[in-house]
Amino acid sequence: MKLALHELLNVHVALRGHPIDYARSGALALARAGHSSPVRSVTEHDGRSGHAQIEWLEHDPAILGAVDEHRLTEDGAEAVALAYTHAIGRWLVKRRLRRGEYADWLLQMEGRSLALEVSGTTTNDARGRLREKMEQVAHCTLPASRMAVVVGFVQPMILAETV
Amino acid sequence: MTEAVVETLSENDLDTLVSIAIRRAEVLEDVGSASAEEAWLEVLAYEERLAAITPAADIAGGIARAGAVHAALAAGRREDAERLARKFLSDPSLTPERRAAIERAIEEDGRRLAAHFPALAKTGRLSEVQNWRREVAKAAGVFPRAA
Repeated sequence: MKLALHELLNVHVALRGHPIDYARSGALALARAGHSSPVRSVTEHDGRSGHAQIEWLEHDPAILGAVDEHRLTEDGAEAVALAYTHAIGRWLVKRRLRRGEYADWLLQMEGRSLALEVSGTTTNDARGRLREKMEQVAHCTLPASRMAVVVGFVQPMILAETV
Repeated sequence: MTEAVVETLSENDLDTLVSIAIRRAEVLEDVGSASAEEAWLEVLAYEERLAAITPAADIAGGIARAGAVHAALAAGRREDAERLARKFLSDPSLTPERRAAIERAIEEDGRRLAAHFPALAKTGRLSEVQNWRREVAKAAGVFPRAA
């Protein structure tokens, strides 16, 4: 599976016009962790193991000095997660959800909906974080499928669980 | 963006704008910025319009209706939130889950206000906070202008 972060706006047209450049955030978050494009990432989805190749366009690393580290991790994780959910299920961004909905994004595909909760981590606590995020998205009461995705940047890793 | 302009926007445009506005409002709220309420007003404008153009029974319509009520509360416009909640809850096609989401938003705001103003809550005078907020919102600034 190939996840081309630089193709994100071509895939998720609803992201066009966002002041946050998610693809760049994903690229910078991976570069910050010492990776170069392309990088092989472990994937685990509902207990099934696999791998993905994440690709991105290089950006000036000087930008790293001017961005909020936590936001970069979260925005970078959203970039990877949105690329991943499209790759596995052709899901497309409909809109962002407010916190009270217990998920970050509403995605849609052929009349079906998915509430997606995303988190990123620069430490080795991806599995613990996934459990937290699963608990969180389990509170989402929207008539939609629910999924938590955690992106680890140190050892590139995408953990996903349908709730 | 004026109301007239918002009315010309498509659902897709509004989805993008509300996504950006929610993100901004939540970031401003996180850092305790005084601009957060203004940012939630922008969310309110988009959610209200989305609520007007989407059926209550649809997932998008349900999200917009609960979102509009929440945004009004977050912007400190509890009366507007209650007016919107009454309007949305009177629609029989609104799903029970969305009814609960709207009611929960109102209740949570009430609890939040009570936690901020325990003395007023204890004596049943929380409405005074709303009266004060309404007066402040009407004024051009918090302090009266000289001449």
